[in-house]
Amino acid sequence: MSAEAGTATVGERVWVNRALGGLAWLVGLIVFFPVFWMVLNSFKTEADANTSPKLFFTPTLDEYRHVTESAGGLLSFSEAFTNSMVIVLVSVLIVLALAIPAAYALAVRPVHKWRDVLFFFISTKFLPVVAAILPVWILARNFNLLNTRLVLIILYTAINLPLAVWMLRSFFAEIPKELIEAAEIDGASLRGQLTSIILPMAAPGIAATALLCVIFAWNEFFYAVQLNPVDGSTMPIWVTTNVSTRGDFLAKLSAASVLACIPVVLAGWLAQKRMIRGLAMGAIK
Amino acid sequence: MSTTVRPRISRMIPPTVGRKSLLSESWRRRLPLLPALLFMILLTQVPFVMSIYYSLTDWKVVPPGPRKVVGFDNYNQLLDDHFFRSAISVSLRLAVFPVIAALVFGTAFAVLLDRKFLGRGIVRTMLITPFLLTPVVIGLIWKNQMFHGLYGVINWVIEKLGGTPVEFVSQHPTLSIAITLVWQWTPFMMLIMLAGLQSMPQDVIEAAKVDGAAPFGIFRQLTLSHLRPYMELGVLLGSIYLIQLYDQIAVMTGGGPGSTNVPYYVYQRSIGGGWEFGQASSYSIVVVIASIVIATFALRVLSGLLKGEAAA
Amino acid sequence: MRGTVRATFIAALFAGLVFAGCGGGDNGGGGSGSGSINVAIVDNPQMKDIAKLTPSLFTKKSGIKVNYTVLDEGTLREVTTRDVAAGGRQFDVVMIGPFEAPQFGKDGFVTDLTKFATSDTSYQLDDIITPVRNALSLDGKLYAAPFYGESSFLMYRKDVLKKAGVTMPAQPTWAQVADIARKINTPQMAGICLRGKPGWGDLGASFTTVLNTMGGTWWSAKPDGSVDKAMVDQPEFKNALEFYVNLIHDAGEKDAAGSSFNECLSQYKDGKVAMWYDATVAASNLEASDSAVKGKNGYAPAPVDKTPASGWLWSWALAIPQTSSQADKAWKYISFATGPQYLKEAGSKVPGGWASIPPGTRKSTYEIPQYKKAAAAFAKPTLDAISAAPIDNPGTTKRPGVPGVQYVGIPEFQDVGNQCTQQFSAVIAGRASIDSALSNCQSVASGVGG
Repeated sequence: MSAEAGTATVGERVWVNRALGGLAWLVGLIVFFPVFWMVLNSFKTEADANTSPKLFFTPTLDEYRHVTESAGGLLSFSEAFTNSMVIVLVSVLIVLALAIPAAYALAVRPVHKWRDVLFFFISTKFLPVVAAILPVWILARNFNLLNTRLVLIILYTAINLPLAVWMLRSFFAEIPKELIEAAEIDGASLRGQLTSIILPMAAPGIAATALLCVIFAWNEFFYAVQLNPVDGSTMPIWVTTNVSTRGDFLAKLSAASVLACIPVVLAGWLAQKRMIRGLAMGAIK
Repeated sequence: MSTTVRPRISRMIPPTVGRKSLLSESWRRRLPLLPALLFMILLTQVPFVMSIYYSLTDWKVVPPGPRKVVGFDNYNQLLDDHFFRSAISVSLRLAVFPVIAALVFGTAFAVLLDRKFLGRGIVRTMLITPFLLTPVVIGLIWKNQMFHGLYGVINWVIEKLGGTPVEFVSQHPTLSIAITLVWQWTPFMMLIMLAGLQSMPQDVIEAAKVDGAAPFGIFRQLTLSHLRPYMELGVLLGSIYLIQLYDQIAVMTGGGPGSTNVPYYVYQRSIGGGWEFGQASSYSIVVVIASIVIATFALRVLSGLLKGEAAA
Repeated sequence: MRGTVRATFIAALFAGLVFAGCGGGDNGGGGSGSGSINVAIVDNPQMKDIAKLTPSLFTKKSGIKVNYTVLDEGTLREVTTRDVAAGGRQFDVVMIGPFEAPQFGKDGFVTDLTKFATSDTSYQLDDIITPVRNALSLDGKLYAAPFYGESSFLMYRKDVLKKAGVTMPAQPTWAQVADIARKINTPQMAGICLRGKPGWGDLGASFTTVLNTMGGTWWSAKPDGSVDKAMVDQPEFKNALEFYVNLIHDAGEKDAAGSSFNECLSQYKDGKVAMWYDATVAASNLEASDSAVKGKNGYAPAPVDKTPASGWLWSWALAIPQTSSQADKAWKYISFATGPQYLKEAGSKVPGGWASIPPGTRKSTYEIPQYKKAAAAFAKPTLDAISAAPIDNPGTTKRPGVPGVQYVGIPEFQDVGNQCTQQFSAVIAGRASIDSALSNCQSVASGVGG
């Protein structure tokens, strides 16, 4: 495999490297600044947050307290968090369970019209969600699925499956044919081939795909608010309950947003190396 | 086809003859695909067909009235609707430009991050964070913290530099939304490009350097051509998601000339106040058909994405 | 090893599905568990206050658990309209306003509350302020019970006007207000804050009252009350729009095209604007204990031109969808939330104190001694404004649809209002010309009725 790219070759001037490193830091800080400011605002009082930008102020945890105190009857942070966790994890598991065999059928032992199948999968993303909402709502109502976690699990699976199939297909296509044929000659069934060869080799790619699906599912707002306003409400909905049309809300919103984004941000931070390696493994070829 | 060190071998397995099995070979190949395929067909085609049906009716939810089929009336009306045309133009502007800008920035950042320096991991972590946030949150914090006419950070900086504050969201709605999209999607492009850079075989580059090629020339000829398939993937995925953009428009501008794209316009005509589901559905069907046409064309051009031999 | 991985995978999937199925609590049927109801409310502070007090003040006594769904106005409208119109059965009580209540009543979407209200002795239906009650009724039947009421008036900094040697008349006209605004306008402090944010309930509300009192209208009406012709292309409409836009350009707040209630509130409290025309409830924010402008404000009735009064009328009221199977429990809750007793108890319990209990619904509120004291600065102007709101005849000509001041009582107004105010907002931002905005709006408005 290619070596870890980025080592300065012998003879390159050291100051160029330092300057570019410094530039990278500058870029990173500027790009990160809005997030930093949001975190800062979450520790301010509303009076401090809704006026000219202040860097120095007396920090307080009041707004964090306000947003997390559970008042019977209102959607609480823990309830929304649990809902999001269950919905996202289950739907991503289902996505993988469906996409892995599908990718096998499109890459390793491809069906005849695999290109058309791939096109079909991606074409399912062309119908705007705001248009599909009405038929979806009607179906959900008729099947008594409104305000359940199940309806969002199903929908998020449908949203992420095309992406997962697309990406996993490319990863599986990278696996050397000889290894698979060798396993076949040894008498391994499809399941055996998968578990012994394909999954271990494509593991970084699978992790990358899973992380992308988690990001999209966790942050999805429209379906969630239209179908689950009463029960089974997710984190993005909970965040917006802290917005108000008759009063200041920026500090509360910042505190709520920080709390809502932590799980995915942590997941992303921890998994970024793996994700890059996964994508490098052959998302494309 | 670019040359790589490892020779490309066919990765596809041709059917073996004479294999004893319950099903024919082609059905054995299809079987693993079926669960995913059937799931998607059920979940997407049923709503799609329902939408087609609604688009042929005059269905209005409020005030309630009988729903009757009116054929292609809605589609005829659509042709005269110049708001729909503006929405298409906004959709394209909010998809094409941010995708390209994110790609350019993403590639630049990836190149910067591809070298070793102190704290590289931290910088990379900072740079991917925008993509991990909820789009509604992104819209709200940019609108209220950064772009705010009086209290925004950007205007605070502008004032300190002696300029006059700019009312970003009021005066430049398309640009303001586009900026948040670039900020959100650059990390996505950057990750893809980093993957591309990491998977680049170093020996070819070394050889070129030994031959005395200039760094910029190496970049242009070897690196960029290797990265091309990665760029195409980024553009494809980014465009597909951005055409459907809704969240940021809803929280930042609430629509209007310059920021209403097709999904937001469909929303306005249906549950956002118009309650005219027949008409709104016809807009969506037109969008789907147009997208299919464009995508078919685009995928033929971006042939690198579907590389692989036809199944024998 | 691999076997266990696979087994764990399958187990997780199974557990997840079990979780998913039973998770999410009550679904459909509005609280299928015994004694619980689903209520949809808007995200105003008064509503959140009662949500927090419900367990102790209501659930304890009645045994009925209340599940609240808090949404912003736009999303609330989407979700509740669809629920009542298409039978989603998600809610037992929905919060709607005088725009929806008569229309939903006519369409049969919500239950007639009159017999509930009259047979409930503690409810004191006659205590409800008459225009508020009428706005929520059709043909004498009450379709929604008011929880919160507001009108509009003009708030101004007494100290700033005094310093400039200007006095505010007892019933100002728009011409007078515009003069004052231009006179006291400075680069540091704008003369007046007017809404400019797109939306039929944002810029639409504010502008429509100006339009009404200047003799204009959105549509003319046929004798039977249905829509006749779109009147956006008439000179009165253009006059009113030009007046509004020019006043903002000459003496209005910064970033006007993005400003609604919250933005003007911030700027007023921060001393960036000297006058503000908006909802009466703003006064409770301005006179709050942590407000920098507490005690410095005067309140004048909404400015007029050709009509005697022009303040708007809005209320957030609770209605019972026809499809709810728990109308009795729903009424018990409505009786608690909109009855006189809550108002007497809430003042000592809500974070904002007596001045922030839900205003504008009952005459008895304005007799509560603690309220009179805490809201001394604005209680009378608020009550006067609501009582005077010209709901049946807001302008100089007859309007189509159900009664309304700052909107036209036809369902199409939402969409037309949204699209037109988007155009007008662009004019305020300087990105479009008045004529192009008017002609775009006229073409949208012409698509209605006829």
